[in-house]
Amino acid sequence: MRRRQVIAGVASTAALGGAGLLATGNVPSVLGGSDTEPVDPVTLPTIDAPGSTAGEVTIPAPDRPTFVDFFATWCAPCEEQMPILADVRPQVDDRVRFVSVTPEDASQDAVRRTIADWWREHDGDWLVASDVTAALTSKLNVGAYPTAVAIDETGRVRWSDSGVHTADELLAGIETAL
Amino acid sequence: MDRRHYLRSLAGAGVVGTAGCLGSVPGFGNENVVLGPPEQDLSEAAHPSYGDELPAVTLPDPIAGEEVSTARIFDERDRAVLLTFFYTHCPDGVCPALIQRLRRAQEVAAEEGYGDDSAFLPITFDPERDTAEVLREYATQQGVSLEAGNWHFLRPETYEAGQTLLEEKFGLVIEKAPADDYENLEYQFPHYGLILLANKRGYVERAYPNGPTVDIETVVNDFERVVTA
Repeated sequence: MRRRQVIAGVASTAALGGAGLLATGNVPSVLGGSDTEPVDPVTLPTIDAPGSTAGEVTIPAPDRPTFVDFFATWCAPCEEQMPILADVRPQVDDRVRFVSVTPEDASQDAVRRTIADWWREHDGDWLVASDVTAALTSKLNVGAYPTAVAIDETGRVRWSDSGVHTADELLAGIETAL
Repeated sequence: MDRRHYLRSLAGAGVVGTAGCLGSVPGFGNENVVLGPPEQDLSEAAHPSYGDELPAVTLPDPIAGEEVSTARIFDERDRAVLLTFFYTHCPDGVCPALIQRLRRAQEVAAEEGYGDDSAFLPITFDPERDTAEVLREYATQQGVSLEAGNWHFLRPETYEAGQTLLEEKFGLVIEKAPADDYENLEYQFPHYGLILLANKRGYVERAYPNGPTVDIETVVNDFERVVTA
């Protein structure tokens, strides 16, 4: 009896492993419904890198919809996502705050350099921020990278999905928040 | 719904707090714990769960170069514990998701001033690859603060020792598996994403068998209620 449960647990994790991805699991509860609570805004430091200057960004943006790409420099699939993001951004940039966020702590100089180097190497060309205390990552319960999140003008999450997405998937996701 | 449950639990914790010790009020159920029973009864699971004593383990912290004993953490240092099982070469994002939950709890502990009442204990089951140097680099990558003095990566002496320890103490079966799907990776471990939360007396308050996906703020809030009780 006990052993069966352990094995069942291992099998399901192995299945997740095989997919190479991990669902964040909180999406249905935050999607759509009128009872969805707005996300409390978090202000994060931005990084001096191509398309991005050192400063701050508030997420969700106070005055327009926000699209967040959660990535990490240690995440191999995130490399694959970059050219697709680069393709999507010019199509939506005038309507949403478009920002990539890493959970890596850029308050450490070495980490900040690692992020900037990765950004340059993968042709990033838009705002990139560091979730220095994992506050935003926690609020949005991001468990896997990359994860795409679209938040509407009122600060409510309309779409959140982990894994590498096609341009059409990203555009459709962003559309739900417009 | 969730909020109501949270408030009700808080009210319960308040009463217990007035009594001056951990849940010793008659009629409040298990006297060793702070939190009420979890929604899902996991008492039949192979791993430790609500109300069980956290199994005592003594393992090296290779970064600090010292042995860490869970019994000592409870008896002498009076800390509440978040414990999980991971390895740095984890190819599928499960382990960073587990570590991220402990990391956020560590951040909040520092902000709220209970860092010295907390201990974060991720146990690697891949001691062959997870050397002190690799673990230190991983801490930086994952935004973990080693300087806070409450985070100890624990590393069994050998793979076999770790395997035995995890199965005997925690009911977790770990086995090496080929990593054919991944470049540059010789082997991996399909494993169970478990996080355990134990109070200052060493009793399990919560077992999160869905550790990589459990709501981060749920873990952080549960931990805060336990550590500040």
